[in-house]
Amino acid sequence: MRIWEQPWGYREGFIVAVGILFSGLLLQFSVGNIQPTLFAYPVNGIIGILFVIGLLAVHFLFPRNRTVRWFGGVYAAVPAITIFLLLCVILGLIPQHSHSNNNSQLPSTLLATLGWNRMTTSWPFVLLCMYLVFILGLTTLRRTRQKQSWRDIGFYINHVGLFLALFGGLLGSADMERLTMSVSEGEVEWRAINQLGEIKELPLAIQLDSFLIEEYLPKLVLIENETGSILPAEKPENYQFEDTGKTVRLAGYTLEILEYLPHAAILRGDSNLYAVPMLMEGAASAIKVKATPPGRKESVTGWVSNGSYLFPHSILPVSENTSIAMPQQEIKRYRSYVTFYTENGGPQQAIIEVNKPLSIGNWMIYQYSYDVAKGKYSDRSIYELVRDPWLKVVYAGIFMLLAGAMFLFIAGPKKVESEESNTQSAKTKNV
Amino acid sequence: MNWDSFIYFAILSILFWAAGATAAFKSKRKATPALLTVTGLLIFLLFIVGLWHFLERPPLRTMGETRLWYSFFLPVAGLLTFLRWKYKWILSFTTLLSTVFILVNILKPEIHNKSLMPALQSPWFAPHVIIYMFSYAILGAATLIALYYLIRERKIENCDRLLHMTDELVYAGVACVTLGMLMGAIWAKEAWGHYWSWDPKETWAAATWLGYMVYIHYRLKKNASSRLSMYLLLIAFILLQICWYGVNYLPSAQQSIHTYS
Ligand code: HEM
Repeated sequence: MRIWEQPWGYREGFIVAVGILFSGLLLQFSVGNIQPTLFAYPVNGIIGILFVIGLLAVHFLFPRNRTVRWFGGVYAAVPAITIFLLLCVILGLIPQHSHSNNNSQLPSTLLATLGWNRMTTSWPFVLLCMYLVFILGLTTLRRTRQKQSWRDIGFYINHVGLFLALFGGLLGSADMERLTMSVSEGEVEWRAINQLGEIKELPLAIQLDSFLIEEYLPKLVLIENETGSILPAEKPENYQFEDTGKTVRLAGYTLEILEYLPHAAILRGDSNLYAVPMLMEGAASAIKVKATPPGRKESVTGWVSNGSYLFPHSILPVSENTSIAMPQQEIKRYRSYVTFYTENGGPQQAIIEVNKPLSIGNWMIYQYSYDVAKGKYSDRSIYELVRDPWLKVVYAGIFMLLAGAMFLFIAGPKKVESEESNTQSAKTKNV
Repeated sequence: MNWDSFIYFAILSILFWAAGATAAFKSKRKATPALLTVTGLLIFLLFIVGLWHFLERPPLRTMGETRLWYSFFLPVAGLLTFLRWKYKWILSFTTLLSTVFILVNILKPEIHNKSLMPALQSPWFAPHVIIYMFSYAILGAATLIALYYLIRERKIENCDRLLHMTDELVYAGVACVTLGMLMGAIWAKEAWGHYWSWDPKETWAAATWLGYMVYIHYRLKKNASSRLSMYLLLIAFILLQICWYGVNYLPSAQQSIHTYS
């Protein structure tokens, strides 16, 4: 078996894939990470068109060339997928630096030199991805020359789907814009900040009419005073408030829930903090409990609260080194009621919520965050605005892949008998 | 119905599954083992439905809750394999593996939390996780066959049949992995603004998927080595384990937005 002698097999496949990996590393050493901005429209569009023309040219100009056919076959595909998989494993193991800060800020470690701490914009990663797209393209084109059967439907939607998803995702990433915008209640905002911290003016404006947060009911936990860790250490427990008058067990203690104030002021008494009802902004949740330590009769009674930006936390000491505490309440949902204006449209109203972005023109607007320090009394809402002109290409690919997966599920692997008829394996058996 | 009653349902289910697995060796027909297994599954499902009702949200969030689905889908995958190829021992394997996961849930329950953070409140949540758990179970079954093959290679009479079985399981499993992954991508676009961010969990999902892609494509050639194919399955399944819970322990996971409680 000699290398580079036709017919080519896996050996050559690995040499080519590893060769691309090393070319990528060389580029990485000499010019550093890829700057996505350099490939912004129209550069990515031109590259894309040239790439497709190149694929078609290779396919139609050299129909009988063995090397071209080899590139569209399993012997090239498996090594390519394997080496790309290897890079994914490295990407999954090594913590990544964000892409927004500049090259210069990074420590010049070995990882940085290899590009491994910003893998997805490193040359080896992107080149191998392109190589996969190239193989996918040639595979699909080569397949059209064979006798077609119903099974080929699955083949085409899977491979063309992945081609489109990778192609669109790769080229489109340079054009994607992600901005954040912060709006206070009653105000209108049309500027946003990009990932480099620059202010951008938008062709749309958002007015925040009101911002609402809903919280889950509060919980009680037993904590160790010094560390603040929840007990029992090996299996932390909590009790979520349900109703007053209940008696429950928490980490060995018996708790009787005496009172619950969803809106309370926390005041300082002679020895302890206590709570009184207060229907005002800044009010905290408070629960009055009677706690009995395990195996004892005497109990402690007092208020527990998680406080707010106005009031302090209140814990109830139940033994020398443990107390009952109320952790921050978890957020159930938060949403913005907004009015938005576009360049040619009058005001329109909408609701923006997590998982329910608002789509205006080319922009998708996501509920991103709020004034966390003020918690449920936040009067500020933070949005993420995303524009991705290549999304349609990627989605076309994703939906083809979804259909292809269903096809794969139903059709299953090829039956053993028919394997010979439409692969080139007969010719390349001796590798 | 809360976690306290889990142990009773679990024991009852395991007994039925074990009876089904034994019947698979004893009886000539498929009906008896199938009926026993299905009864066990129904009992187990009853608990899942009860828990869902108690939590007022789908039980898909914590590690313990996903293990619950996994213990459910393993016998399902085993039963389908048994009905399709009448492999006697597959039900014993899946029962055993399912029992291991049930034991983990009984001995080391993690915080069973009622609340669901806003990003998880989506119609994509349930199908995304359930289809992933289902695919993990199918691929788990394929891995068991691979192990069986590698350990007893010399003594197996009909190797081709085994290989065809792993192929079929992998195609079905990979189809579901693909569906789960792409649903995840569409959901991520809706919740976080981008369909793929190379977050550690996503990266390992891609690695897992690519691992099975290597297997599928490698197997297309008639001269493919059977041993290597089975090793590829083992490697892919290890990647899957990292993706499922292994990522939580990796240095890269500190940045993950995918770690919930
Ligand atoms: C990662 C990039 C991929 C590459 C480089 C690739 C490459 C190839 C190649 C070269 C073949 C052989 C075609 C032939 O001999 O005519 C093939 C067949 C096949 N591929 Fe892929 N493929 C990729 C992704 C996928 C995906 C995403 C799926 C499905 C989810 C898939 C499923 C299949 C199937 C089922 C066949 C056999 C089709 C048949 O003969 O019925 N591949 N692929």
